[in-house]
Amino acid sequence: MKFNRIINITTSALFAAIIFAFAVAFVIVPDSDFSEEENRSLTTFPKFTWEALLDGSFSSKINEYFADQFPARNSLVGIKGVTETAFGKGENNGVLLGKDGQLAVRLFTIFKSRLERVADMDYFVPETVTLSVDALNAWAKSSTVPVATILPPRTVDVAASAFSYPTEISDSLQTLLAETIVPEANYIDLLPMMREKYDAGEYVYLRTDHHWTTYGAYIAYTELMKSWGLEADILPMDAFSVETVENFYGTTWSKSGYKFIEPETLEVWTAGNEDRFTTSCISEKQVKGDDGKPVAVKEAYKTFSGWLDRSFLDQKDKYGAFLSGTHNEQTVFLDGGDTGRERLLIVKDSFAHTMVPFLAQHFDLVIINLAAKVANITDYVEEYGCDRVVVVYNWANLIENNNMAAVQ
Amino acid sequence: MVFSSLLFLFAYLAVTLFLYYLIPNIKYRNWVLFIVSMLFYGWGEPLYILVMLASITEAYVFGFFIDKHRETNIKKARLYMALSLIMNLAALLFFKYCNFFIENLRLLPFLTDAIAPIEGLKLPIGISFYTFQIMSYTIDLYRGQTEVQKNFVAFGTYVTLFPQLIAGPIVRYRDVDDQLMTRKETIDLFGSGTRRFVVGLAKKVIIGDACAAYYEYFKASDAFADSTAGAWMVMIFYTLHIYYDFSGYSDMAIGLGRMIGFRFLENFNYPYISKSITEFWRRWHMSLGTWFKEYVYIPLGGNRVGKLKQYRNIAVVWLLTGFWHGANWNYILWGVYFGVILMAEKTFLLSALKKTPAFVQHIYSLLLIGFGWIIFSFTDAAAGINCFTSLFGIGTSTFCTPTIGYQILRSLPLLVIGAIGSTPLPKKIWDKLCTVDWLSVGAIREDGTEEPIYMEEKELSVRGKVFAGLTTAGTIAVFVVCVAYLVDSTFSPFLYFIF
Repeated sequence: MKFNRIINITTSALFAAIIFAFAVAFVIVPDSDFSEEENRSLTTFPKFTWEALLDGSFSSKINEYFADQFPARNSLVGIKGVTETAFGKGENNGVLLGKDGQLAVRLFTIFKSRLERVADMDYFVPETVTLSVDALNAWAKSSTVPVATILPPRTVDVAASAFSYPTEISDSLQTLLAETIVPEANYIDLLPMMREKYDAGEYVYLRTDHHWTTYGAYIAYTELMKSWGLEADILPMDAFSVETVENFYGTTWSKSGYKFIEPETLEVWTAGNEDRFTTSCISEKQVKGDDGKPVAVKEAYKTFSGWLDRSFLDQKDKYGAFLSGTHNEQTVFLDGGDTGRERLLIVKDSFAHTMVPFLAQHFDLVIINLAAKVANITDYVEEYGCDRVVVVYNWANLIENNNMAAVQ
Repeated sequence: MVFSSLLFLFAYLAVTLFLYYLIPNIKYRNWVLFIVSMLFYGWGEPLYILVMLASITEAYVFGFFIDKHRETNIKKARLYMALSLIMNLAALLFFKYCNFFIENLRLLPFLTDAIAPIEGLKLPIGISFYTFQIMSYTIDLYRGQTEVQKNFVAFGTYVTLFPQLIAGPIVRYRDVDDQLMTRKETIDLFGSGTRRFVVGLAKKVIIGDACAAYYEYFKASDAFADSTAGAWMVMIFYTLHIYYDFSGYSDMAIGLGRMIGFRFLENFNYPYISKSITEFWRRWHMSLGTWFKEYVYIPLGGNRVGKLKQYRNIAVVWLLTGFWHGANWNYILWGVYFGVILMAEKTFLLSALKKTPAFVQHIYSLLLIGFGWIIFSFTDAAAGINCFTSLFGIGTSTFCTPTIGYQILRSLPLLVIGAIGSTPLPKKIWDKLCTVDWLSVGAIREDGTEEPIYMEEKELSVRGKVFAGLTTAGTIAVFVVCVAYLVDSTFSPFLYFIF
């Protein structure tokens, strides 16, 4: 047989082998329900109905199912990451690849109005931000208790130097916030300090995740205490012992597809008195009252000692160990009932989770998830008798949604 | 279903190839193709299979009538042809253009309340392509350029054949009529088809989609920083995107065709190296150009009529070409735009151009093509005009911002790769290194000459052998990379802070 015939046989056979191998592997490998790497449930085989077939929804679910259960997904995603690097793009899936394995989400899903999605962009829509700021201002002005506002900047704002990324957008967002948030809201602008520390080589933001480090959260804690005139109470860093959790890969790493990036270390700071605190996750449900009418009753569906749920430390989502992931309403109280400590209401996204170990040393905490929009802030202040309120909501959320407009 | 999906590659294609080669007889192989092609078509919109089947049946039945009267009573044959074409076009007009006409008629004050758009009318995919294919059969049959097809499955296979069903090339019936019953599959043809398919897949998935993402980015950035540089990037990346997307799709179609023994005409011939718009349209979407020339331009008299009528013919063809691309004014304008340029080139521009250096001719062509793509890509006229004027710094607030500059720098490698890849250069170099053209088996050249379906048994030099190995390894590696891109596009990490 001639050489070029052999080549054609080889090409054809390899191509066929690949498509049949994947097809067979797809059938053989059992379906999984959850992807750790993506932190989401996977589509399983859809239920067949004739209606679903005819309106096309069955086939689109099959498409999703096939994509979600495809063999070797995670490795293949890595191949794309490497290829994109070879193209010299310096980013993949909207995530920048910078010096020393620093990653940062650069493109965000922004909206023109409430519904019209513009695109994945690095720019932000000022109107979206203003909507949130207006609500924050209105609420802060009417608040009867001391208030503070922490809006953590994104990694791309803090670590811009790692990517030689222009800071014009970060700066204009910073200016917009500084100029429009009223003094009553007691806004603490962390960008200059975080950026300075980052550039000085301090580990303030995570490399592979969109959150700050525990050290970054400690800085935010000290700035918060200062803004309330509580400098004297601030616990020094050496009051805590640092426990390190190895092999942490954050969400930015998952999104990036850069599998060649080294994992990082997640720090858990402990003061040694954690067992004296209890965290409760609270939900509200309707029960029949004495008069037969339904009334809302709150109950704890999960409680644990301290604020760390160690089961998360063995999984990929290690950041979830702080406060056991995201819950709509939580309390962190010192055991032994009313201790005369002040109560602090934290209206937050997940950036606040790493601040809890520090704040719990001073306050009993009531923590509500801003995105859940369960009730307005004033109601919580009254219900729990809170003495102070801090809003912690990061820039990515601020430009991607206007959930904060609900604080009013 | 689309080729660039995991479901197509690893479920549909795997099963189709398996069944196809499991069955020895061509008659039953056509059955396989007919059935799987309908599955392919109906995957998203099962009910529209019926629309397509109606068109197929109608043309099949009328084919007998036309054939019966063709030699005895040409008038009757013509009547049957006209009826058949009308029915076919009616489906296209109804599904694709009906609401466009209604919405425009409603602009007339006395009709605003009298008529309303039909709700829930979705465009059946590929209807523009398969309608034209069916019409080529009807017309060629009437003209006596092909024989009547008595086998319904064979005719159905011709129309529904999944490689070219939803995005062309528009295969004329007479170009494949003999392949329907007597095609021969060879391992050389399959190998060549595989390479061609992978080239097309890579063009679409690795380059085309990335260009589309940059195009979207630059287009959206206009709302935040309307820059001149950004507008140029919008034009450039759309130009690259549409070429890689569309020609990639045609490559995949041609490659898939070869895998099952079909040989289709080429659809693209490096359009962006053209030195005039006249040349561009001989290189871009050639199957559509041929169709309009064959079935509209020449029947109208083509070039063999007086000057005035010639211009009329050009105008008709380009109005229709534009409108064929979509039921929107911008497509009509796009057709008119090229019609006017082609008339100008015909009268004086082409001869004037020929006197200029080659690079002037290239720049002239690329600019006009690029402007054309702006018209084509913006269905919103105001946004299109804004993008066009921005190219010249009119109405922009800045030439470039640091962020847009950063993005341009990041997209530069792709731009260069895309530009080089749209010329014959990479293939020429590779063919030279290989000393053989590994893509040639089963190709049909522009002049109609057919490459054999068996590869020439040429003794390869050592270099030739090394590069033959590299070609094989490269094909497989690129295929795996394409799969990685497809998987990645479905990979959606759930960011925790969204909660």
